[in-house]
Amino acid sequence: MRVVTSLLLLVALAVAVPALAGPLDTQGAAQALVCSACHGFAGQSRSNTMPILAGIAPWYFKKAISDYAAGKRPSPEMEPYAKQVLQSGVDDVAAYFAAQARTPSPVVLDAAAVARGRAASGPCTTCHGVSGKGDPSKGVPDLTGQPPGYLRNQMLLFKSDRRSPGDDQLKAIKTLMRTIPDEQLSDLAAYWSSVR
Amino acid sequence: MTQSRREFLRTSSWAGLGLLAAGCAPKVSDFAQKSGRRVVVIGGGWGGTSAAKYVRLADPSIEVILLEPNKEFVSCPFSNLVLSGVRTIESLTFNYDRLRAHGVKVLHETATMIEPDARRVRVGGDALAYDRLIVSPGVEFQWDQVDGLAAAQDRVLHAWKAGPQTVELARQLQAMPDGGVFVLTIPPAAYRCPPGPYERICQVAWYLKGNKPKSKLVVLDANPNVVSKAALFRAAWQNYPNIEYRGSNKVVKVDPGVREVTTELGDKVKYDVLNLIPPQRAGTIAVTADLVGADKRWCEVDHQTYESVKHKNIHVIGDSTIGLPVPKSGNIANAMGKICAVAVTSLLNGKPVPTMAPGNTCYSWVSDKEAIAVVNSYKIEGGKVVQIEQKLTPGQSEAWAQNAIGWANSIWADMLG
Repeated sequence: MRVVTSLLLLVALAVAVPALAGPLDTQGAAQALVCSACHGFAGQSRSNTMPILAGIAPWYFKKAISDYAAGKRPSPEMEPYAKQVLQSGVDDVAAYFAAQARTPSPVVLDAAAVARGRAASGPCTTCHGVSGKGDPSKGVPDLTGQPPGYLRNQMLLFKSDRRSPGDDQLKAIKTLMRTIPDEQLSDLAAYWSSVR
Repeated sequence: MTQSRREFLRTSSWAGLGLLAAGCAPKVSDFAQKSGRRVVVIGGGWGGTSAAKYVRLADPSIEVILLEPNKEFVSCPFSNLVLSGVRTIESLTFNYDRLRAHGVKVLHETATMIEPDARRVRVGGDALAYDRLIVSPGVEFQWDQVDGLAAAQDRVLHAWKAGPQTVELARQLQAMPDGGVFVLTIPPAAYRCPPGPYERICQVAWYLKGNKPKSKLVVLDANPNVVSKAALFRAAWQNYPNIEYRGSNKVVKVDPGVREVTTELGDKVKYDVLNLIPPQRAGTIAVTADLVGADKRWCEVDHQTYESVKHKNIHVIGDSTIGLPVPKSGNIANAMGKICAVAVTSLLNGKPVPTMAPGNTCYSWVSDKEAIAVVNSYKIEGGKVVQIEQKLTPGQSEAWAQNAIGWANSIWADMLG
């Protein structure tokens, strides 16, 4: 009888206890919901212009948010959202995106552009490495699998000094970008987007 | 331009599953019995699709039924580009198959009544029981606010719900003789998509400038000035001398027989093509279910759960709401849908509701290639949504137009992908 009572109690408990933690139960997941309109569910952007945040290194995410919020990296779109993320908890949101497995951008690449980009990619590897995965100790981010449109836009912004003007850390890349013709930027973007 | 839509479709990994699911064609009567926990969502637009999908993402053990009469979703954002011929309506049209692949039961039916005490939605002669109801009915037009409009609904086009009217207005614009007058009338705020009419002005003026140089566009705005992004739109209009903008010109009468509208001031304006955007209120089900406030137009809600202040267990999202410092936009409806989904799931699971605020990104096309934008971010303070910041683009550019395309592809996938 006691066993039956215990079993019944267990069943009752199992019914009453809420479901196990769901995929949106963390503080970071809830605060990141506002991001998915542009960056995709779990930061898995499907568009050509918006970067993939899934699997992004927390140090890089937090630097981007801080620079956008301060207006150092000018963006009328990201400045208000960066301020929102700072208020809702940038550490939680950074941890959430870092924990998401990155699927490379689904944007279809031109094989010839990828090949031309590979041949021209030498200068990039000096800082980003042959793998393109970057080097956190030097503040160099991972380029791989990002949408080509996003990568190309960033290179154009570096070239015209419209990304983080006055940031000493970015002097070298801006000097390098000014030596590369615009057409080749598309090839480089296609190549780094293709790297896994 | 259709490439982005192809890209959107190509990225689907569930299209096959969705087609299989669509073949089943479930009926309301199949769901007469409720076994587990169930959320019913009324309206398959920006808010309703987002809410339905995210309840399933947050807790797949909850059954979700979405009621939407239309078999296809047509995006209002970007539909002004159909008028100028820059995009096709097909490039803005999507089905609900991938929502079905998330386990949402999509029924192409109209909710006819809500019974809050019995927690039931009536669909004709059938009924659906719910634990929580999410109502996202969009807007309905107040036909009676303009004399002569109710009787001429089929001839006087609003094109303010993207679909057949958008295509017909584009056809009328193209068929208008060079030298003809296109009249666009704007209702008093609040209405769906504050910058929408002004983007439409740009698209119609851009088309006329290139195709019918002797024609003009007369704008009769019930509001004293441009409601949204005023300086940016005014700057864009410098390129279109064919625009004649008249503020504080509320249209009170239409006579399609003599092709004439009359303003509150008594001015009569003749037209060759008319686009009359009527005054608006919350979707009809929100009115019949007594979810609207004393104004009989809009629904007041809790700012964190979107639960109606009038009826328990019923949540209202999207354009039908009032009281939050947010525009009636697709992006806001998407954000409300996601936040409401997490709130509803938390409540059903007996967990605290996380504090979540919406955000709004809004692009407007000022030509065939250039766009402007306004972005609003928010926080929760004292239980209420409070704006953190509003930021505008410093001007118009092709780069923001590219971002607009990226935004559209992303948010369509967030709702329906």
